[in-house]
Amino acid sequence: MSNDYILVTKEVTKRFGGLTAVDSVSIAVRRNTVTMLMGPNGAGKTTLVNVCTGVYKADEGRVLFDNEDITELPPYEIYRLGFVRTFQIPVPFQSLTVLENVLASMKSDGENPLIAIAKSRWIKHEEGAIRKAFNMLSKVGLSKFWDLPAYKLGAAQLKMLEVARALAAGAKLIALDEPIGGVDPVYANRILSYVRSLKDEFDASFLLIEHRIDIALPYADYVYVMDKGKIVTEGRPSEVIKNPKVIEIYIGE
Amino acid sequence: MEVIPPIVLYILVDFSVYLIITLSLNMEAGYAGLPQFGRVLSVITGALVAGAIPGRILALLYGYPHGAEYASYEFNYRIVNELNIILEQSPLLSIGVFLLTLIMAMMLGAAVGYVTSRPAIRLKEAYLGITLLAMGDVVMLISLYYSPIIGGTTGVMVPDPFRWVGPYRFTAATLVLLTLSIVVLIVVERLTKSPFGRALRAMRDSEVAITVYGRDIARLRTYALIVGASIAALGGALYTFYTGGCIASTYTRLTWTFWPWAFMMLGGTGNNVGVVLGVLLFVIVKTFIVTYRGVLAPYVPFDPVWLEYTFVGMAIILIAMFRPQGIIPERPIFTIARKKIERIFTTLETPEEIRA
Ligand SMILES: Nc1ncnc2c1ncn2[C@@H]1O[C@H](COP(=O)(O)OP(=O)(O)OP(=O)(O)O)[C@@H](O)[C@H]1O
Ligand SMILES: [Mg+2]
Repeated sequence: MSNDYILVTKEVTKRFGGLTAVDSVSIAVRRNTVTMLMGPNGAGKTTLVNVCTGVYKADEGRVLFDNEDITELPPYEIYRLGFVRTFQIPVPFQSLTVLENVLASMKSDGENPLIAIAKSRWIKHEEGAIRKAFNMLSKVGLSKFWDLPAYKLGAAQLKMLEVARALAAGAKLIALDEPIGGVDPVYANRILSYVRSLKDEFDASFLLIEHRIDIALPYADYVYVMDKGKIVTEGRPSEVIKNPKVIEIYIGE
Repeated sequence: MEVIPPIVLYILVDFSVYLIITLSLNMEAGYAGLPQFGRVLSVITGALVAGAIPGRILALLYGYPHGAEYASYEFNYRIVNELNIILEQSPLLSIGVFLLTLIMAMMLGAAVGYVTSRPAIRLKEAYLGITLLAMGDVVMLISLYYSPIIGGTTGVMVPDPFRWVGPYRFTAATLVLLTLSIVVLIVVERLTKSPFGRALRAMRDSEVAITVYGRDIARLRTYALIVGASIAALGGALYTFYTGGCIASTYTRLTWTFWPWAFMMLGGTGNNVGVVLGVLLFVIVKTFIVTYRGVLAPYVPFDPVWLEYTFVGMAIILIAMFRPQGIIPERPIFTIARKKIERIFTTLETPEEIRA
């Protein structure tokens, strides 16, 4: 079974002191899908992503990526296996340019000082990376600002920079934590349709965390709904939206 | 007899040595964001190599005492005087000893950098800063009170690889130091204008983001500390050769850690060209204070020996208060020429606009 899924969490629990932010959560992201994770504020969505990517250590449970147990791995090992994520609150490299921010998401041999000194050994790769970075930047509408330091960007632009960085990393699975928060609907639709096209083009998978279900739902293949640290329901978007529990969470409160 | 006035030589030597050391500090503190408060450690490592090793190698080759007695004040000046006579006759031997020592200093510096990187993997900010600072002091104190290495409180003389040049010895040595400092500047510029430099700055800006994007920060810190320490050790070795003597008490954290910090902060943290400017300005002002402090003595209410320390201390406070980014602030760095990047940009832009 597990080969159909790129990411599987098995009863993952994460506590902060007395608060159980993620409570025995089991989800599975099928390969080559956009799987959505929705739920109200404080449901534990970001915490789950942090646990999956090694930023936080799980208190209980296992995380499997591409059939490998990654529960104990540090984030950089998880990146190496092909799993990256964006940050809900953007964490840009403030003093680096927009272009450099995207370049920093791709590794280069020239990061070893012994190789760095011999430009000929990394220049080809660098040019390729720059091409790829510009490509991503133009998709998210930031290419014009390529030489601005990131601290000069506005909130929505920083969101897009997060997305560009993650997409450029060329991962097998990309977790997007509210990538379109604060972005206008027309743009948000463009971004999400681009995500879908990337999924097809590169056989990538996405875990999409989103509040704005009106915009995001049409782009999802499968949906998990989370509330108070637990998965409340899951299914196809059309089914989930009719589920009374979901209606209660989103409308009834 | 020198062609260049002594005060200019003095400025050039200080400039060269401090440029090398401040550039190494800038890589670690300015680029990688490490609290390198133990710069003196790798500087003294280089000085120890130059003070303890070339003389002993020559002593061994020419049949003089080369063990602990080499460093004893009764023998040392006699042995080194003899060795200097030999070196004076042989430019080739002089150059060989000089280069070999520099290479050894850089290698031992790298090893020391590696050792300091072990705590640097686990510790953060202030804790790491204090650890590095303490390591520097420990090595200085050991060299000062354990005389078999470099003669303890009396120090040692160092064989002079420039003596064969003749009457222009100091001018020649100064020019060699200046040339090497420019080579270091070029190397450091290359290193920092590369994916390596970018990764260091990215780590400095956000450790969590660079980790999520695949970098092991322990490894990046180790790289920065090894490269930085080996460059700083080169500076220490060069200074020792220039002065012709080596005494541990020269290597205080004030002059070889905090001054380089002041130079870097003045010029521009994270900007190598700024560092050049910062070092130059400070060294010039410092030299004039030292030269003319006798003249100033009647006008200051304390011993004028303290003038240069007061000046550097004041400067650090003023920079931190009014211009923390330095004279030339950090600028975006282009790993390849901006024009080339723009060319890549224009070839891609139009056809690839957002697919609806
Ligand atoms: N580092 C932390 N320390 C303590 N508590 C935390 C931490 N991170 C999250 N929490 C708490 O865990 C719970 C889940 O937070 P989380 O950020 O995962 O929710 P979320 O579903 O992402 O919400 P939102 O939609 O607002 O982003 C919240 O009550 C939050 O306050
Ligand atoms: Mg969240």
